[in-house]
Amino acid sequence: MSHEETPVLDPEAASAVIEHLYDRGWSDGLPLVPATESALATFLDSTSRDPDEVVARSMALDREATVRDVAVHAIMAGCRPEYFPVVLAAWDALSGERAARGGGFQSTSGPSPLIVVNGPIREELGINARGGVLGPGFRPNATIPRAIGLTVRNSFGIVPHELEQATQGLPGRWQVCIAENEEESPWEPLSVEAGLAPGVSAVSATLLRTMEFVDNRSFTGPEDVLRDFADTIQRTGPWIFRHASVGIIMNPEHAHLFASAGMSKQDVREWLVDASSRTEAQLAAVGKALSGLPGGPYEPDHVHPVFADASLANLPIIVAGSRNAAISMVVRVFSSWSGHSFPVR
Amino acid sequence: MVGLIIDPTASARGATTASTAQSAPPLESLAGLRVGLLENTKRNAAAILDVIGASLQRSDQVGELIPMTKENFALPLPDDLLERLTTECDVVLIGVGDCGSCSASAVADGIMLEARGIPTAVICTEAFEVTATAMAGLKGRPDFPYLRTPHPIANLEGQQIADRGTELAAAIRSHLLAGEGKAA
Repeated sequence: MSHEETPVLDPEAASAVIEHLYDRGWSDGLPLVPATESALATFLDSTSRDPDEVVARSMALDREATVRDVAVHAIMAGCRPEYFPVVLAAWDALSGERAARGGGFQSTSGPSPLIVVNGPIREELGINARGGVLGPGFRPNATIPRAIGLTVRNSFGIVPHELEQATQGLPGRWQVCIAENEEESPWEPLSVEAGLAPGVSAVSATLLRTMEFVDNRSFTGPEDVLRDFADTIQRTGPWIFRHASVGIIMNPEHAHLFASAGMSKQDVREWLVDASSRTEAQLAAVGKALSGLPGGPYEPDHVHPVFADASLANLPIIVAGSRNAAISMVVRVFSSWSGHSFPVR
Repeated sequence: MVGLIIDPTASARGATTASTAQSAPPLESLAGLRVGLLENTKRNAAAILDVIGASLQRSDQVGELIPMTKENFALPLPDDLLERLTTECDVVLIGVGDCGSCSASAVADGIMLEARGIPTAVICTEAFEVTATAMAGLKGRPDFPYLRTPHPIANLEGQQIADRGTELAAAIRSHLLAGEGKAA
């Protein structure tokens, strides 16, 4: 039996600290962990990156955050020190996103980062890739994206009702970090599709507006499910520009259905890109006709494809979740994805 | 003990513009002035600016109307566009800030042009007053007199666009001739 000394825990002092952090206006609404110089040193020791390196920037506000600033937010978010390189890679990835560098975090659509982790770091940190992958219950999945949100709030100064103008926002805005279920995927990982070597720990990220489930357990073949995906993808509600980018967080059962029919990820992508469209008349019926755009006016039966092309960037497919039901998520990408993955370093 | 807790906003505050940005001088007359119409690709922005420009030609005999487009409505003016606006225009009308990022960005653009001596009139919808004003403060002109118009404008049509543009033209005229503090 161990006789290790238990540190003295003072719950009343902890409560007072939590209230103090709320009073300073630094919180996203949930309790924060206080950042101290000793914790900061520990976090900075977990990376070889220069504490003064700028990793996050808001061009719209001319503000930036360094490795040191992001470490403070990671501490406050509840990250463990070993998560910190992933938080930095997530900022590397978001800094590659035009919308995140620009005014995306101020937008009325209130978009959330979507953070996808590939490679061995998933197992090392215990980032959930399987059942309940979108949460809750897993510390790295919950705290890594929260560190991004606290950077936006405290380093960029993008605070709700001020420079943040989300009309309704979305549930779990700073909570969407998943690992790809590479072990149960029949296909190559997202980071490998994006050009990195297999086995390299990597982060990919974009901004999303929301997710919609496709629950299809009654299929008799792959085309049933593909048509079901296309029906959700081409819904008019999210249609605001000529084209859109859409992601799929695909559960392993759907992925294996397609793979066993001989389809690669790119085959699935091309099928969905060809099948997802609306006519000018259908868009006009909901007040979203595209005739005012260059190339218009259009005949009522003119077909407008959802996607500009069948590229990885316009339709990323990530395998995640459990094999216990054929349920997937269609991800509404805010703007577009760069198509790049960033190594954890 | 509180002093041991790191303030996560400290570095952002340190970077904030401390200086006061310059305003452009008030104008005595609009006659003959070249008017930049800087639209930000938001629906109806170009149409409303066109109405305003034509209205100012009738009321004040302004000179050439120079339409320009800011392709990325959320970001600061790119250098080449800033250069063109500064050299080719005597006053610049900017619109329409009717979203979370573009309203703040329109105000930032107006302040940047005024600091270069170009009088501006920035149009934002009332729904985004808080964020537009927050950006004005960030850029060193907390009282920057941008013009507020009722929200929304994206779904106005035909005569409604003409009416809104005509109303705004009168307000812009007063704003440009009165100088800071009397408009909006």
